[in-house]
Amino acid sequence: MLRRILFVLVVFTLGARVAPAQTDVANGRGLFQTRCADCHGIDAKGVHGPDLTVLFANGATDERVFQTIRRGVPGSEMPASNAPDAEIRAVIAYLHSVGVRVPDAGNSSNLANLSNGERLFNTSCTTCHRVNGRGGVLGPDLSRVGAARSRALLTQDIREASAVIAPGYQAVTLVKTDGGQVRGTRKNEDAYSIQIMDTTGQLQGYRKSGLKTVVSEKTSLMPDFAAARVTAR
Amino acid sequence: MAQLKAQWAFQADTIATGRGFESTPLVIDGVIYLTGANGNAWAIDARTGRQFWRFRYPNAPDLTAGATYPVNRGFAALGNQLFMVTLDAHVLSLDMRTGAVLWNEVLEDYKNGYAATPAPLVVKDKVIVGSSGGENPTRGFIQAFDAKTGKKLWRFYTIPGPGEKGSETWPSSEAAIRGGAAAWVTGSYDPELNLVYYGTGNPNPDYYGEERAGDNLYTCSIVALDADTGQLKWHYQFTPHDTHDWDSNHVYVLGDVPIGGQTRKAVMVANRNGFFYVLDRATGKLLLAKPFTDTKWAREIGPDGRPIVLNPDGVKDCLPDFWGGTNFMPPSYDPVSKLFFVTARETCVTYFAVKPEIKIGQVSVGGGVRRVADRIFDYGALRAIDPSTGERKWELRYTTPSLAGVMSTASGLVFAGDNEGNFTAVDARTGKPLWHYPTGTSIWGAAATTFMLDGKQYVLIPSGTTLVAFALG
Repeated sequence: MLRRILFVLVVFTLGARVAPAQTDVANGRGLFQTRCADCHGIDAKGVHGPDLTVLFANGATDERVFQTIRRGVPGSEMPASNAPDAEIRAVIAYLHSVGVRVPDAGNSSNLANLSNGERLFNTSCTTCHRVNGRGGVLGPDLSRVGAARSRALLTQDIREASAVIAPGYQAVTLVKTDGGQVRGTRKNEDAYSIQIMDTTGQLQGYRKSGLKTVVSEKTSLMPDFAAARVTAR
Repeated sequence: MAQLKAQWAFQADTIATGRGFESTPLVIDGVIYLTGANGNAWAIDARTGRQFWRFRYPNAPDLTAGATYPVNRGFAALGNQLFMVTLDAHVLSLDMRTGAVLWNEVLEDYKNGYAATPAPLVVKDKVIVGSSGGENPTRGFIQAFDAKTGKKLWRFYTIPGPGEKGSETWPSSEAAIRGGAAAWVTGSYDPELNLVYYGTGNPNPDYYGEERAGDNLYTCSIVALDADTGQLKWHYQFTPHDTHDWDSNHVYVLGDVPIGGQTRKAVMVANRNGFFYVLDRATGKLLLAKPFTDTKWAREIGPDGRPIVLNPDGVKDCLPDFWGGTNFMPPSYDPVSKLFFVTARETCVTYFAVKPEIKIGQVSVGGGVRRVADRIFDYGALRAIDPSTGERKWELRYTTPSLAGVMSTASGLVFAGDNEGNFTAVDARTGKPLWHYPTGTSIWGAAATTFMLDGKQYVLIPSGTTLVAFALG
């Protein structure tokens, strides 16, 4: 019966660390594994949601984390939570217990490749993807993806574009009763209708009574970028 | 069917953490009586959707289980009295004409992790109510009150006390006394046998079973109780020693079913564990058990009535999630086509257990689930089952798992709903959709109601926090 409650990223202000009681940590671990681990990983190191072990090292405060859990992050996959205050505080206590003390300073070689990455991104990705208001709309907005996904997962997402396709971006081809075809990404679907963005970026809804078939494609509209095409560096 | 048209909509201004109406409305003499989330209830004009009165229960600020699921699943009625339960585990009687409180009795102390959500069941001069709160360390029960006065009459504990029959299925009385088995869905009543049938919920902690070795009676079971005394006549346990939160809190459907050349007085249920069961409702004898989902949990139900479990935790092959193969939403049986209709859910997870800390008044589930496949592969379906054989006759597929209830009519229609918000009427014999109306949000927990008024047949469906009325013409 538990509703799933997930966690996302956070916020950087200064804050004091309060030593939590051990029972809170144990209780918080259980709650975290039940409600948060789907996105943030069983060890809080992040999967589809961000790594939370660096949260406090990066300056988050208990109060900000509390509010993030309570209110969720609008526009992200992180929902608001209606859990009792004590449960949220227990989860925060658990996050302190697994927190690393040194913030992730990044890797200087990554910084060196920043401009190269930007050039590659602009030539290969912006037709479909948008960053900070620039780029296409057929694929997901990537402005926040660096904070929300681990580096390993991001690399895998680029290498094997079809392994995990974000909801709302699955490729479909609609075959109309007159034989015409429309290809696009599936925004929504029910038993009687389907809503897509076609490959020209146009939103359009179709009644299934006017369609011969809806072909759900296994592969993403996004191509794979194999190591031969784009190196890891 | 094309003439079935929306007549009016009633919008409740109560939104409780995304939960809307989960109650099937009562309609009596042109008035609709409906409960909503957070202790709200209404009397509404069935002709126009206009309100007669509104009731607001003052909720305690420190609710326990009631804060987690702040829902209510409906009224019961007797004479001029309505009966409902509250999130702080009280039972109320309201004056049907005014919404004024006639009596208010404590079902159990909510501070100890109890709540109450189901519609009460009226049997003769009694009001019967089950407990909610199985995610907390609680001891479930079913309680009868005197309808006139609210005086407490009998109570049946869904977990046996020390030394009582069934207590041997727990390792200790300490584990048993907080072992869950809430009775959070309304029971059914057979006046001829004078038996009430209630389903019981998960053992607690839900997922962590190590400290409650044994079958854990009467969790995940049906119990048949004498309506006058609350004495247990028989029980059947669907999921012994459950570790999936597969409550057996369902609407148990009574019907006369031809099985093996004989018409049996049966009780039918499509269980959260993915199997469909037919039992003799006088004796509890298992007549038939067949999967109604593609579950990989058990191969079959053995001749001894126990599941032959292949895959307890979903590590070998994924299992239905904790919402189960179906849930508390009402199914329906059509005595004409002799088919049972149920909203089935197909999902795919593995389970994990974590030793929880047990604290009175706090949730202790002890684990959870992990989605194996992307959610995109989950789906829902309205399925028709032949209760004589357990065979699936047809299905109407939904793009995601649905929690909508089902209503079938004597005219051979089945009204159902989906998570996408469509309220649909299908042909009972073929499953072919004949009509649908997009309500705009998930139909969740409730089933349709139908009634005649001024020579017109109406159909009601609660969806989100809106109640929509349809009629022919």
